[in-house]
Amino acid sequence: MSRIADAFAASPNGKAFIPFITAGDPTLAVTEKLVLAMADAGADLIELGIPFSDPTAEGPVIQDANLRALRNRVTTDDVFAMVERVRACSDVPLVIMTYANVVFSYGIERFAARQAELGMGGVILPDVPHEEKEEFDVPFSAAGLDVVSLIAPTSHERIRSIAADAKGFVYCVSSLGVTGVRSQITTDIGAMVSLVKDVRPDLPCAVGFGISTPEQAARMAAASDGAIVGSAIVKLIGELREGCVEPVATYVRDLAAAVHSAR
Amino acid sequence: MSGKGARGEGLAASLGATGPTRVKLCGMSRPEDIETVNEARPDYVGFVVDFPRSHRSVASEELPALSTLVAPGIQRVGVFVDAPVENVARLFVRGAIDVAQLHGHEDEGYIARLRSACGVPIIQAFSVRAASDVACAEASSADLVLLDNGQGTGEAFDWSLVRGVRRPFLLAGGLTAANVAQAMASVHPWGVDMSSGIETDGVKDRQKILAAVRAVQAEGSKMGNSSASRGRFGIHGGQYIPETLMNAVLELEEAYDHYKNDPEFNAELTDLFNNYAGRPSRLYFATNMTADLGGAKVYLKREDLNHTGAHKINNVLGQALLAQKMGKTRLIAETGAGQHGVATATAAALMGMECVVYMGREDMERQALNVYRMRLLGAEVRGVDAGTATLKDAVSETFREWTQRIDDTHYCLGSVMGPHPFPTIVRDFQAVISRESRAQMLEVEGKLPDAVLACVGGGSNAIGSFYHYIHDEGVRLIGCEAAGRGIDTWETAATINTGRLGIFHGMKSYFCQDEYGQIAPVYSISAGLDYPGVGPEHAALHDSGRAEYVAITDDEAVDAFEYLSRTEGVIPAIESAHAVAYAMKLAPSMRPDQTMIVTLSGRGDKDVAAIARYRGEDLHE
Repeated sequence: MSRIADAFAASPNGKAFIPFITAGDPTLAVTEKLVLAMADAGADLIELGIPFSDPTAEGPVIQDANLRALRNRVTTDDVFAMVERVRACSDVPLVIMTYANVVFSYGIERFAARQAELGMGGVILPDVPHEEKEEFDVPFSAAGLDVVSLIAPTSHERIRSIAADAKGFVYCVSSLGVTGVRSQITTDIGAMVSLVKDVRPDLPCAVGFGISTPEQAARMAAASDGAIVGSAIVKLIGELREGCVEPVATYVRDLAAAVHSAR
Repeated sequence: MSGKGARGEGLAASLGATGPTRVKLCGMSRPEDIETVNEARPDYVGFVVDFPRSHRSVASEELPALSTLVAPGIQRVGVFVDAPVENVARLFVRGAIDVAQLHGHEDEGYIARLRSACGVPIIQAFSVRAASDVACAEASSADLVLLDNGQGTGEAFDWSLVRGVRRPFLLAGGLTAANVAQAMASVHPWGVDMSSGIETDGVKDRQKILAAVRAVQAEGSKMGNSSASRGRFGIHGGQYIPETLMNAVLELEEAYDHYKNDPEFNAELTDLFNNYAGRPSRLYFATNMTADLGGAKVYLKREDLNHTGAHKINNVLGQALLAQKMGKTRLIAETGAGQHGVATATAAALMGMECVVYMGREDMERQALNVYRMRLLGAEVRGVDAGTATLKDAVSETFREWTQRIDDTHYCLGSVMGPHPFPTIVRDFQAVISRESRAQMLEVEGKLPDAVLACVGGGSNAIGSFYHYIHDEGVRLIGCEAAGRGIDTWETAATINTGRLGIFHGMKSYFCQDEYGQIAPVYSISAGLDYPGVGPEHAALHDSGRAEYVAITDDEAVDAFEYLSRTEGVIPAIESAHAVAYAMKLAPSMRPDQTMIVTLSGRGDKDVAAIARYRGEDLHE
């Protein structure tokens, strides 16, 4: 089993709560504290964003976080160095979320080797669809890591072939458009998940995009195997800056409890 | 330095893995060599230490000063010939080298002593002249072996001998930019080592070094691309976009494949081209310019005379018609200076479609007239504040909008870029330029042109100008990039001349970016060339050498803008003036019986105020 799939299996009810934060926003020192605090608050897997200059799949909240982190001159090596410090006191499962060029430019294999060395689980690359995945998947698999596949409300018949090759978990994009808080999620998540399960009954599916309340998280987790919350947390960090750690921990605790009580 | 921690970790860890072929550049001895190495970014750089018999030898006391110049991420290899173990260990412990390469008569006992002295990863070199040499290499306890034809004499050896080697190895001996791809395909080495093949007269040659690393990366990346990937030009292209858009681009490809061969569709498009856009565009013999430059006969392909004043209308009419056939009722587009936005708004008005144009807030202020034109044509213009608030951000924002609303909406992309099938669709619609110019040239001159010149931003007018000559080997194809204030400054947009291979906006191609892959802000006086990437087909034409890409500065382009206005009574777009500038350099070096075509992609009315300001006149629209 992969480190990512293990993270689902290790949760109290087999359902994972996955918070996302952008590394280096507001500073890497705060990111380090946030990772540890979110792990303590019940996060099963943490999605750590390496900032990119042009995050085309993100809404305004996470775009701004990327630019703030880059203004701090945060680099890929700096993010790995921060993870190294986290590893001195926590083995919380971690997955990197970034864009293809960040990994490609670093050297796909070198990126995977560094992640493996740090006991991380792999990458989520929103601009690498199924057709382009092999270029990344071969070196990551060789390092024992997963390149997570995404499915979207427009995927339809593609879901089966994507699921067949998926590793770790399937990231189920709840809505059209980019990341950001939504008052309502209208997509039939259950139908998407059941298409995955038809092909791969044991492969976890977690839902992201638009989730901000414990109620939404519980509902999404009930229809799948987990919930991912990004923009709502990143917004809080953007507003509270250095003072964000405690409020984020409290928020994550509520979201994690909601996911862990889902049936 | 943040990258230091990454040093020395890579060799042993990556030996077992598959991946791109590594490059080692060996025998560096001067600080200027290191500058070139840092630019070329190989995986390893080698120094021949304390071996005076070699002209590349560096004394061990001088090595630290040299090796500290090497950029983070490039591992430094000390190459030793029977050196005392303590000397090797001292250099490693002092941080002057990351890897030791043994090139003399070192035996297993030597390797064991070196290992107990320090943790340096070890490469052992073997001359391969017979099968027995291969057996010795296989038995070595070094972390990696290097297989060479001798003591760095630089002749290529019989590659068939090494095909049977079962451990990862570095291939060396006589490798150059010209033969390295064949060696890689033939023996699949873990890495390649080059030294004499990147020198001229015993000195490291910048051009040869850059070409060699590019050749390895190009061949390696071809092997690395996913087998399911579609829409490749050499190693470039592909479809690097969110899953949400995949069915939309697949549907677009299917529709295009159908309609491009549909006589009715083509008849409708030809009718729009001829009766609405004013095609065919003239091939004008520039008599005064030819006489003044005193060389080749200069012809201008007058895309500036098209409706809306530029080549952009060719692509937009094609895509709008295709979108209409697909049942789409709404067009969205990005625009930089506003030319593509105006063309899209024009087509939408003609065909009764809704139109939304995304434009960087900065550009909206600089091009207020075009914003008004688009609104006049019934389009909605949405300002983009994200990032640098210029063209690349407008492209990103249009992609974001498309993921939000796909069913009724077509993204009318403005250049030969983005995910497949856009680079092919846009090229095919722009290829009308060379289809016409080829026939026109044959009619007036009775022969093909000797050179075709066009400016390149994303590259749509250039690919349209080149396309029907690609198989005419005698026709030089020359793309003119925007150097801005110069390709040795940060204020440039010359992607092929200064960029690196990357993945952005849906495609693999060359991009202006920093060492961590962050897309760089670019600059040119010409808003239409102010984009950090280039279309994948141009990147492939550059790799194969079929087309040449030159860089033209702001100053040269402005001079050409004024020159053509004065000499021929034609005011060119500042974009097109980049091609005119290179024609002014090239024509005098050609014979009077030779000919060239310069594509005037657009007219210059839009630029007049900006050029006046460039010349110090306080003129505003």
